[in-house]
Amino acid sequence: MSTATRDTALVQPQDIPDAAAPLLRRTARGLRRFACRSPMSAFWACIAAAIIAMAIAAPGVAPYDPLKSDFRAMTKPPSERHYFGSDQIGRDTLSRVIHGSRASLTVAIGAVGLGTTLGALWGLACGYFGGRFDIISQRIIEFLQSFPDLILAMAIAMALSAGMGTVIVAIAITRIPFGGRVIRAVVLSVKEMAYVEAARGLGASHLRIMAQHILPQCVAPYLILATTHLGVAIIIEASLGFLGVGIPPPTPTWGNMLADSLNAGLVPPWWLVLFPGAAITLTVLAFNLLGDGIRDILDPRLRGAV
Amino acid sequence: MWSYIVRRLAFGALAVIGVSVVVFVVLRVLPGDPLVAIFGSEGFTKLSEAERARYMADLGLSDPLPVQYVHWVHDIIRGNLGHSFFRAESVAEMIARRGPLTAEIALISVVLSWIVGIPVAVISALRPNSWGDNVSRFLSILFLAVPGFWLGMLIVLGLLFVFGYRAPLASVSLFVDPSTNLQIVVGPAIVLGLGQGAYIARMARSSLLEVIREDYIRTARAKGLSRRLVVALHALPNALLPVVTLSGVLLGFVLAGSIPVERAFGTPGLGYAMAIAVSERDVFVMQNLVLLYAIVFVVLNILVDLISAWLDPRIRYG
Repeated sequence: MSTATRDTALVQPQDIPDAAAPLLRRTARGLRRFACRSPMSAFWACIAAAIIAMAIAAPGVAPYDPLKSDFRAMTKPPSERHYFGSDQIGRDTLSRVIHGSRASLTVAIGAVGLGTTLGALWGLACGYFGGRFDIISQRIIEFLQSFPDLILAMAIAMALSAGMGTVIVAIAITRIPFGGRVIRAVVLSVKEMAYVEAARGLGASHLRIMAQHILPQCVAPYLILATTHLGVAIIIEASLGFLGVGIPPPTPTWGNMLADSLNAGLVPPWWLVLFPGAAITLTVLAFNLLGDGIRDILDPRLRGAV
Repeated sequence: MWSYIVRRLAFGALAVIGVSVVVFVVLRVLPGDPLVAIFGSEGFTKLSEAERARYMADLGLSDPLPVQYVHWVHDIIRGNLGHSFFRAESVAEMIARRGPLTAEIALISVVLSWIVGIPVAVISALRPNSWGDNVSRFLSILFLAVPGFWLGMLIVLGLLFVFGYRAPLASVSLFVDPSTNLQIVVGPAIVLGLGQGAYIARMARSSLLEVIREDYIRTARAKGLSRRLVVALHALPNALLPVVTLSGVLLGFVLAGSIPVERAFGTPGLGYAMAIAVSERDVFVMQNLVLLYAIVFVVLNILVDLISAWLDPRIRYG
């Protein structure tokens, strides 16, 4: 422990501005504690971070251009030239899997950032104000929940013109009711706390009470929900791509690649099926286990609840 | 109980109306121009102004929106579910021919999810944080992460490579040729059943862990009942209530999940029909199929609520 502190102290003056140092050290300590308390989730957090890094650095990491056809290598199994093989028009599968992570993660983060957040804010307002606004909102949320999420996303993606924005909106709308429900329940219990009443007694405005006293209590459930939703969003995005209403080709996405593999002949070549699906599974698994870890640390009571 | 049933049914009826409005708004109002959806953007630009107006009038799309909505609901009540733009078969015939297969898949997968999920949950909950618990928790979280349609494609490929076997593609009724029918149904049912089983196992585990801490469990142990009997007679029946509710929700998700999964297996069910309608952007078929799925989902949830009210008096009087 003491050596570690001395190390950071030694490194500090040269390359880190003074103001950032305490924050940096605090983050490092927090991360170390997270790793000690649940090594499994720390491991999966690293995998998730690696996948995100891969998506950001895709053009540098991928061995080939994901859109370029190599007509000497059409539908070739994995080899030294193409580690994951190549598809029916000679595109490198490894490069396409790597670039596919960009579409998946952009859509997932966009949809969760939009849908889960919007739902959470809506739930905050419903729980706080109650009354007629809450009743009407709950009915709307129930109608939205009368559709299995894939079907709703499919219908919306089909109705709007194809593109990444459409896919994000379609998935985001399916996330709203979940965010709304969970956060509303949290707010309903927090609202009754003595300190909220005290703030109201002191004359704080509704906005101030919501932002200063209730919102902080919603952060943990929101984070847990958001990580889980990232996984769900990735699977819905892949399903939409597989069904042909996702991000339109030639953009490489994991769902599109699986859909393409069905057109690669009577029997889809195994390497075109195996690798994109394995990428989906690994990514979703990493986010789900990370979410579980965050849940165990932030709120042990919620174990298995969301 | 009766007043509860009446209340629940009344809300169900309201939900169906709300759902039909949502479907109408999403599939009829959102698409800028339905003709673009029908003819594709290139085909659309080739149509002359007069042709466009004629098609719109033919399809009843030049009426005001509320009138269109009323027409649509009226058609559905009369059993006229319309035609695909691309196929001769009417939507009603399609549902009658393909629907039973998908229903079979959904039912088998629910049964399977219980057969797999509950024992796993019991093993987990009896020894929390043991080796068996960790393995079964990892397996259930793994099956939540595996996309069903991908697992389906792998199974199809695996069977083909190893045994040279391909499930029959032509739809056959269970009553005419049970063995062919089961060969078609079993693949998608297993894939969907495992996915659901993972949810069931997680839910049943946490619910069991909660119930096991109750006083009446300690009482049952104290009067000398064996651990096994306490779990079977006292803990499990109480822990399964939330699982019953979850199963209803999951059944709806199986209907949705069957769309890509049936596409992966090439199963001639309703899910595949929906996958085709989506990829062809066949708005009118989609509109009615989405409505059908949503109504089935609402009805299933009413059934599940009634079952749980019947099982648990606290809900009835609460």
